[in-house]
Amino acid sequence: MSQPISPMTSRQRVLAALRREPVDRTPVCNPTSVATVELMDLADAFFPEANRIPEKMANLAETSYTELGFDTIMPVFSIIQESSALGCKIQWEQKDNWPTVKMREPIWRDVEDIRIPPDLLTHPDTACVTEAIRILRRRHGDEVAIIGKTMGPWSLAYHGFGVEPFLLMALDDPGKTMQVLERLKEVTIAYGLAQIEAGADALTLPDHATGDLVSADYYRRFLKELHAEFAARLPVPIILHICGRTVDRMPYIAETGMAAFHFDSKNRPDESMAAVCGHCALVGNINNPETLFARDPEQVEAEVLANLEAGIHLVGPECAIPLQTSIENLRAIPRAVRAWHSAGGGARCHHHDHSHNNG
Amino acid sequence: MTDFSLISNEALRGEIEEFVTRPAEIERNLRVFSRAHPRMQAIALAVIEGEHHLCDRLTREALEAGHVAIEVMDDGLIAGMGVVGIKFRENFIFVPEVLACARAMKSGMAHIEPILSASGVPPAGKVVMGTVKGDLHDIGKNLCIMMLRGAGFEVVDLGVDTAPDAFIDAVEESGARLVGMSALLTTTVPNMGRTIEAFIDAGLRDDVQIMVGGAPVTQEFADDMGADGYGKDALACVAEAKRLLGINA
Ligand code: B12
Ligand SMILES: [Zn+2]
Repeated sequence: MSQPISPMTSRQRVLAALRREPVDRTPVCNPTSVATVELMDLADAFFPEANRIPEKMANLAETSYTELGFDTIMPVFSIIQESSALGCKIQWEQKDNWPTVKMREPIWRDVEDIRIPPDLLTHPDTACVTEAIRILRRRHGDEVAIIGKTMGPWSLAYHGFGVEPFLLMALDDPGKTMQVLERLKEVTIAYGLAQIEAGADALTLPDHATGDLVSADYYRRFLKELHAEFAARLPVPIILHICGRTVDRMPYIAETGMAAFHFDSKNRPDESMAAVCGHCALVGNINNPETLFARDPEQVEAEVLANLEAGIHLVGPECAIPLQTSIENLRAIPRAVRAWHSAGGGARCHHHDHSHNNG
Repeated sequence: MTDFSLISNEALRGEIEEFVTRPAEIERNLRVFSRAHPRMQAIALAVIEGEHHLCDRLTREALEAGHVAIEVMDDGLIAGMGVVGIKFRENFIFVPEVLACARAMKSGMAHIEPILSASGVPPAGKVVMGTVKGDLHDIGKNLCIMMLRGAGFEVVDLGVDTAPDAFIDAVEESGARLVGMSALLTTTVPNMGRTIEAFIDAGLRDDVQIMVGGAPVTQEFADDMGADGYGKDALACVAEAKRLLGINA
């Protein structure tokens, strides 16, 4: 039934999986962040420098390919690079914590306050990422998929207005909220295009309209069309990332034309496959805090298998992995994927993909 | 025997019938609302519907009409917030809606608080709450605070990224006997244990009850780190606060 597929490079494998085309084996991918303190030690690249100096950023990012055996490299470990360029106050933290926006000190109150600074793409914290992508492309050529990250307007609004004021705005004044999102979408597009030009093969687009905060109807009303516009205007595969419960909004996400959705372990692989109904690829969904961080390789392998059996297109952690995660647990992911394919799981996988392509 | 018709306000009755499903909670709401004055029922409904202008006006009118502050607070504002907590726990409403309900509650409390503090009515209890060091997630903590205030507690909010010393200072300054800590990152959960140790080192551990919560925290973690209580959502937080301070539910 399934044609044997000649061996692919990591890059070919990832790009094929994002198009839901046949692959030699399921790619392993984390489109959010793979940084851990152990990897920082190995690469001699630590937070906060690895979030601010291109060379350090590239050195830490490439460990996902060189040390862990993943098929992707993602140089953006945080969600705040462009927010820094927009003027948000950042707490850069130390080796053992991610940087964040000080959302208690909002920089915007109204639509008019949002101004896209002329140095959006040349600011040190955004240019760091584009420069890191260039370095990685030079070092790794066409071997491995390099994924960039551009934040969606909903998340950018959290950073600029503060989460609670923005969520209240969405309830009180949907018209104004749309204007905010319309303005901020230009940041998403501009930063995405800059990373594509620097050599990104695909982009992660986090936009935290999660079921832990808002109903599926918010996604439909405020974001569905904007996300379709991103999929249309950004000329590489886009991986939407929303952590938390999302299965109720996956049918909408599947209609946006996004290549893939990166989903959280709060949603089962099989129900998620049913929810997107073959309209986009899924990336995920190994649990971070309970499994990758706190358990053993065997439990990690069991979750990898559940994803493979459900036909998940790219397997990996659900979100930015906890910084104290052990390398041993992370290496278990590609190992389990290879083992499953050599035991014949691959044949079932291709079959699965074909039925989706035709249906 | 569930006779919803005991609640005279039709819209409020509809809310209880549709969204409250646990028998014990149905019973409690029926008990509270069936004896609540129609004005109090209307205030509760304004909180549930997140109508802050309305809640502000109804509370003022109720006080002007001679209702005592405690009645307006207990049978109106607090009772309404109780239903909000249930609707949130059951995913009928989400964070924006809860924020609007809390805003409505606050607009009513603005009239109540001056009266209560002038008459020396003590709050249900005093709680110090904060998100631990290194962690900036505060939505869940803030919802807990809203529900605690909604249940009549006085809360000292330390915000996010709170160092152990800041918890200790706040306890010493406020005289609170209950501390609540929140953490959403696996990397910051250990800071809860460190804060508890700091209370021990400061010789204050026996003076306070400590409760913990946040998505990655479990009862098991709570026990391991030596906390006195754990709650998995905002309603559980209020229940734990009452239990730890020995207040009847
Ligand atoms: C919203 C969110 C954010 C917002 C935070 C905004 C804010 N002001 O809080 C933003 C986008 C800024 C953000 C940033 C980050 N986040 Co975040 N975030 C989330 C998300 C999607 C929802 C959290 C939330 O608010 N839930 C809703 C509330 C209502 O639930 P709750 O907090 O659990 O609270 C309830 C109960 O736990 C309980 N409770 C809470 N506190 C207390 C206290 C007491 C005493 C009691 C009794 C009860 C109690 O009652 C609450 C009400 O019911 C989760 C995903 C998820 N699956 O949970 C990730 C998540 C928490 N984030 C995560 C990560 C990795 C990050 C970042 C590092 C991202 C990055 N790569 O840069 C940064 C970290 C910044 C930092 N140093 O803190 C990971 C954490 C992984 C881990 N466990 O280590 C999660 C789990 C995502 C994932 N699946 O991996 N995040
Ligand atoms: Zn996430």
